[in-house]
Amino acid sequence: MNRIASIALLLLFAAFLFAPYLVNPGLVFIAGFAMIEIVFALSWNLLFSYAGLVSFGHAAFFGIGAYVAAATLRYGYDIHFILVLLICAVLGAVGAFLVALIVLRRASGIQFSVLTLALSQLVVVLIGYSDYFGHDEGISAIPRPVMNFGLFTVDLNRPLANYYFVLFVCLVAVGLMWLLVKGHLGRAMQAVRIDSERAEFIGIDAWRIRVFAFTISGAFAAVAGALLAPWGQIVTPEYVNWLHSAQPIFATLLGGAGFFWGPVVGIVGLSALNYFTRTFTGLSEVLVGASLIAVVLVAPQGILGTLRQLAKRRKGPVKGGHA
Amino acid sequence: MILDAQGIEMSYGALKVLHGVSLQVSESETFAIIGPNGAGKSTLFKVLTGERMTSAGTVRYRGEDLTKLPAFRRARIGFGRTFQVARIFGEVDLMTNVVISIEARLRYSGQSPGAWWRWTPAADVRLEAEEILERFGFPRSRWSDDAQYLSHGDRKRLEFCIALATRPDILMLDEPMAGMSPSDRKEMTKLLMRLKAETGITIVMTEHDMDIIFEMADRLMVLSYGEVIAIGDPEKVRDDPTVRKVYLGQGYQHA
Amino acid sequence: MTMLYLYSIFNGLVLGMAIFLVSAGLTLAFGIMKIFNFAHGAFFMIGAYVAYAVTGQEASSLWIFLAAALIATIVVGSIGVLADLTIFRRLAGVPADYTLMAAFGIMLFCTGSTRIVFGQGIHAIYPPAILGGIADIGIPISYYGLFIIACGLAVFLMLEIGLNRTWLGKQILAVARDPWMADVLGLRVRRLKLISVATSFALAGLAGGLLVANQALSLDLGHSYLLLAFCAVIVGGLGSIRGAFIAAIIFGLAESLNSVLMPTMPGISSYALLIILVLIRPHGLWPEQSQ
Repeated sequence: MNRIASIALLLLFAAFLFAPYLVNPGLVFIAGFAMIEIVFALSWNLLFSYAGLVSFGHAAFFGIGAYVAAATLRYGYDIHFILVLLICAVLGAVGAFLVALIVLRRASGIQFSVLTLALSQLVVVLIGYSDYFGHDEGISAIPRPVMNFGLFTVDLNRPLANYYFVLFVCLVAVGLMWLLVKGHLGRAMQAVRIDSERAEFIGIDAWRIRVFAFTISGAFAAVAGALLAPWGQIVTPEYVNWLHSAQPIFATLLGGAGFFWGPVVGIVGLSALNYFTRTFTGLSEVLVGASLIAVVLVAPQGILGTLRQLAKRRKGPVKGGHA
Repeated sequence: MILDAQGIEMSYGALKVLHGVSLQVSESETFAIIGPNGAGKSTLFKVLTGERMTSAGTVRYRGEDLTKLPAFRRARIGFGRTFQVARIFGEVDLMTNVVISIEARLRYSGQSPGAWWRWTPAADVRLEAEEILERFGFPRSRWSDDAQYLSHGDRKRLEFCIALATRPDILMLDEPMAGMSPSDRKEMTKLLMRLKAETGITIVMTEHDMDIIFEMADRLMVLSYGEVIAIGDPEKVRDDPTVRKVYLGQGYQHA
Repeated sequence: MTMLYLYSIFNGLVLGMAIFLVSAGLTLAFGIMKIFNFAHGAFFMIGAYVAYAVTGQEASSLWIFLAAALIATIVVGSIGVLADLTIFRRLAGVPADYTLMAAFGIMLFCTGSTRIVFGQGIHAIYPPAILGGIADIGIPISYYGLFIIACGLAVFLMLEIGLNRTWLGKQILAVARDPWMADVLGLRVRRLKLISVATSFALAGLAGGLLVANQALSLDLGHSYLLLAFCAVIVGGLGSIRGAFIAAIIFGLAESLNSVLMPTMPGISSYALLIILVLIRPHGLWPEQSQ
């Protein structure tokens, strides 16, 4: 990746790192949401940019994490919250694995997308039936956990601890995804996305790799969801809805598809847009809509793709760049 | 006998393309399949590599029945292949193209391509990839170029690198010289001959260029309308009167 | 009990026709643009709002109601022309994911604009007096329901005849099946695409104008129909009008019988049905031939 993009990403990281000391609590709250959405969007991009699968129902896995974490906190089960995060990851992985097992055998392309959409809407409908999960209103007034680590305790009721806990978990999740994607499994995934048939002829089982990618992606989406429960203190079916599934898609395309960091840039862009237009009813949608259209028309490679192109043009002859 | 296909039949809908084709390839042989357009060469090739499943007949590899085995399993037991139009991993660099293939071989042969969290290829993998790229004439300066910007001939060469990185015992080449310039062809032929001399790899190929066939092939099979009309060593096949009539008669004058 | 079933079957048919009215344009747009036009629901909603702006809460006569639907058709159709000229046409060589994103952008843009113009409120709209009645033939049958069924059938027949029997329709099908070949044959592909995109949007507007009185008018109107219409388009076979018609009726009946047979689990049958049908027939009941 070129220098401008790296610097921009470092600045962004610094902004997240020092946010509580730089801006008002309202913005810090938004920053926390943005970090959670970043993990969610990266988990989706893991599928899209590295395994070539377009899931329209990714919010379902986010929802699994969000609701399980919300229920354990709200109903007072005495489970260490780190353990809750891990349980959510496992549940997300199992859910995604089962979906992949059923769906990937039969469908690909648009059928795959629509099946994931339908399955996630099914989850929304099922949540609507459930007393335990609070029907359409969801689970609210979720208490924040206090975590005992032996040597020290982390009390998420303290704003700073809460923020840095979310930041820490997000960093770990992002780091794990980065390592996976850059490692040999990531390369195998990429081979399957670029040309699954070619990949099969060097011995890669494309189906297995896709199921694997989907499973991992589901796990990370669930972790993102689980973080939402203590941070937002309310979990509603809206987070499972297809409109929420669309969020990572836009973040990825806005930031630049094919880049690992694309969704990060995209989420920050979308969050900023939402923040600055929040007071005008309707206008925020108009602006977000208009900017999506503008990006598609003017910079279809997304923000990072455009930056890379600019850098290339300045440098002259094409010198290979790593995505 | 490394490859033994018996009574291969194949139809697309109502159209029957192969009518019971049989062929046997022995170890370290170069076996060429020729025939006019529409003779069923490509289809036979697809059946042998596992891209398509036969309607009838069996394919055996060193005695093992792999008729129903999908392509990736065949690749794991020793099949390598190239395509008529070279297929490479366009959006990554040359190095990664070969690394992907080496890592696949390691992963599926019980060895390890390294821990999952290593964000660069293991040193021995990289070394091997460098060796392969160098052998096929890609200078170090081009290893980090995106593969999609390669010229046609270079794409073909890179595809060979990908196919050979899995260390196949049998190399299936679907028109390896198609669309190459005459000088590229010559160079590629030389490269293949050298590879053969060094490793004793078995090659099954389809090709239109008769000069290359006669230079490389140990044995030759002629397909016409989905049937084998001649099989044997090149000189004999060339003099076969039926073959002359359907194919070589005109083909030879062109060449 | 039989009466209850008959009643819910009638309701199912009405709902099925309503779904078809929305999915007709959607499947046509898919055939041409090869994308799911997320904006379709928003245009449907705009059609409904336009009709509402013309008639107010209750149209004074059937003619005014129909005129309002026609105006909605024209308005939304023109927006379609605009959207094609400014956006879709310029996305010809861009991967489908991006066209999808543009469609989503248009959807947000339209929802936002409607919110600004008409506000957040939910409006109850009534059909004109002449359609307001109910015929009791053992089960209560609303005239408005019959009207929707008639409209659905009319639109279906018009599209079937228009696409398969007229010269223009055949050209459009040719573009949908193989744009490159159509271009080679000398068809004016860009113009034909424009016509079909405009038709698709106009159909959304028409559906909005006709269905405006079927349920409360709000900004969420688009979404509720859009998802069911998606189901119908997928199950029917992408791009197939006939498939969408049959599938829409299947989903309408499923939704309606769902509330009788499984009253404690509303809304589950369509998604379950979709999943099963797609797993059995991934390419739909009547797959449309295209490259």
